[in-house]
Amino acid sequence: MMRFLAKNGRRWKLIGLVVGIGAAWSVPYVFSNYMVSVASLILISAMLATSVNFMAGNVNLVSVGHAGIAATAGYGLAWSFVQGHSLVTQLLIALALTLVASFIFGLTSMRTSGIFFLMATLALGMVVFGLSYRMSRITGGENGLSGIRRPEMFAPYWKYYFLVLVVFIVVTAAVWVVTRSPFGVALRGIRESENRMESLGYNVAAYKLGAMMISGIVAGISGVFAVWQMEFVSPANAGFLRSALATLMVILGGVGTFLGPLTGATIVSWIEHVLSTYIERWPTVLGLIFIAVIVFAPNGIGGAVKSWWEKRQRSARSRRPVGATATETLASAKDPEGV
Amino acid sequence: MLLHKAFGKRLQLALVLGLIMALVLSACAPSGADDPVESDDTEATPTTEAPAATDDESDAEEPEESPDATEDDSTSGEPIVVKVGFLSPVTGPLAAIGTEMKQGWELYWEEHGAEAGNYVVETIYEDDAGNPDTALTKARRLVEDEQVDVVVGPLAANTALAVADYLIQQGVPNFHPVTAADDLTQRLANPLVIRVGAMTGSQATYVAGHWAYEQGYRKAITLCSDYAFGWENCGGFVRSFTEAGGEIVDQLWNPLGTPDFSSYATQIASSGADVAFIGSSGGTDGTNFMRAYEDFGLGDTIDVLGNCCLLDQATLRDAGDLALGLRSVTYWAEGRESPEVERFLELYDETYGGIASLYVANSYTAAHVFSEALKSMDGEIDPEGLVAAAREVNLEDSVFGPRRFDEYNNPVGNVYITRVEQREDGLYWNVPEETFEEVSQFWTYDPEEILNSPPYDRTNTGQQ
Repeated sequence: MMRFLAKNGRRWKLIGLVVGIGAAWSVPYVFSNYMVSVASLILISAMLATSVNFMAGNVNLVSVGHAGIAATAGYGLAWSFVQGHSLVTQLLIALALTLVASFIFGLTSMRTSGIFFLMATLALGMVVFGLSYRMSRITGGENGLSGIRRPEMFAPYWKYYFLVLVVFIVVTAAVWVVTRSPFGVALRGIRESENRMESLGYNVAAYKLGAMMISGIVAGISGVFAVWQMEFVSPANAGFLRSALATLMVILGGVGTFLGPLTGATIVSWIEHVLSTYIERWPTVLGLIFIAVIVFAPNGIGGAVKSWWEKRQRSARSRRPVGATATETLASAKDPEGV
Repeated sequence: MLLHKAFGKRLQLALVLGLIMALVLSACAPSGADDPVESDDTEATPTTEAPAATDDESDAEEPEESPDATEDDSTSGEPIVVKVGFLSPVTGPLAAIGTEMKQGWELYWEEHGAEAGNYVVETIYEDDAGNPDTALTKARRLVEDEQVDVVVGPLAANTALAVADYLIQQGVPNFHPVTAADDLTQRLANPLVIRVGAMTGSQATYVAGHWAYEQGYRKAITLCSDYAFGWENCGGFVRSFTEAGGEIVDQLWNPLGTPDFSSYATQIASSGADVAFIGSSGGTDGTNFMRAYEDFGLGDTIDVLGNCCLLDQATLRDAGDLALGLRSVTYWAEGRESPEVERFLELYDETYGGIASLYVANSYTAAHVFSEALKSMDGEIDPEGLVAAAREVNLEDSVFGPRRFDEYNNPVGNVYITRVEQREDGLYWNVPEETFEEVSQFWTYDPEEILNSPPYDRTNTGQQ
């Protein structure tokens, strides 16, 4: 049994995944309301971090303005709720605004890279913040829009948690599929060498725009759920702090790793919302953890686990006879119908 | 190894999965009836049948059913514990104000003891970092895990409105010591929400416009912070000033946290107005304005009238000499001759040193009102009853002067025209020159008219 598990790394991963989902599913049965709402918050932050991670991991474009997209979606939902529109209309407005915001973000990503993209997204994020602050007739300005309610079906906090969990799993799986698709491979090609991809005939700008649109939609979903979670929206949703924390989550968790955003979101949100009750100097703790991760695990926690895993896989493989290697692992992983 | 041979790979996976599902499902079992899928009937009373009920009693219980409350039906001799959740930002950009806010609350109970009437007040402090997300999460913790009877705070308008909305849903009373947002007791007024310390953003500045016109000023320029608080501040001033017949020459808006006020100072100096109303958000904005005031010799060209916060202690500690002789319109006059104020200042000086700021006075007053409300009550805490009792509180004198509340749960009280003077010990403070009594948040206007008009902002500046 042990040997079987050892030689099939993918199986371990699958088991880990199932145990993880099972554990996440059992949260409302084990913890208090308050912890469940923190768990929802973590998943929602993790979705925002996932959207940042998608761009950072695949195209090497680090954004510090994604909260702007999320907040745009959130404001769309909140505003149309306050106006008394139906749920479908609310979601459609949120979607439309998300697409517009992502498209604008995407236009900047088409021509920029590295630090320039970072600055452009920072600026765009601040534009959203500024608009939400200023257009007080629509956004409520600094005071925000209160009195927003979740759809009645998901009004109880624990039902809402299950909804968020399901959406998080679907979003993560969708991002995983996109990353594994030829589109994702092309994106990583762009990451490695834009010029080479261009000379191969790829329309690099279009690919970048597409990536930004996908990332934006994920951010928008997170924005909608953030508003439902808080039943409130204010310029803080679009603030630099929110964007920066999302990026911090990605870096802590490990850029380009799948569960990195979740790991990062768990650490950051836990410190921000739970540890802060007991330790007044929680920002210091967050800073120290960040420094420790940068020094000891430059690829983030996810990156460190990944390299440890790969090392372990390699040593396991070298101990095994040839023949039962990659092909078998691949085959066994490719039959999820059996699940 | 053996297993591997006995079962196919698929079967094995299925086995593992099945095992996990069994574990998960067994965890569901105790409250399986609450499964989201079949819970149509639970929706009427959603929180009471939440799955966590098995190991956490906190979620469903009304305050009346909390353990400490059940004991007190029998005897009135045993004091009833009132749990207060105190939310303030002690980290983040508002940390300085948040800390002073906390000091005021602590100070009152230190001075008077934790007992008020038949009750003992127990306070749980939480940090909201000035962020609505954190504030809401902390409010949830206070309500659901700590089962507090009342939440006091938070500070920033957005955190306050978010928390108030949540607490109203939960049926938990909310006392606001510092938040000035007009809407809290106007368009969003609720029987569970009461503003106990501060006045609204426009309340005292209605007096400012009225007073400025009475003084013979006819042309005014305003400089206010460019967000809700500043809009409301200027809104009050502009409305009453223009209604009296004054003219607004120009309105300037500075972003929160402006480091350099020189461009505003030069515009004010060259505006040709005879009075400048400054609606500052206080703190470093106040100090920075005073530097520009000094550099451009504004004192020689124009009369400056500050709001509550421009010349509050946060500014005077740094720039008191520059501010000497300047006037403000505020509800906190630390130089007022009153035993209440003197005792409060002495206590603050002993505990923290220096002169107490507006924010300390705000939550000190909040505690004062809260304590008086408890004294008038009997038996277990009923959420709306507590707020109603606070609304009925009528103080002959508090650190702010006489205080009562209107039907929208907002204070009605004195507004002072103050002047910065130097005390014998060298410190600067605001001494009242003139007092306007019984100032309501609606000034002399019809509440209905204010409530039906949009809130003050940069397009609705109160210009008549």
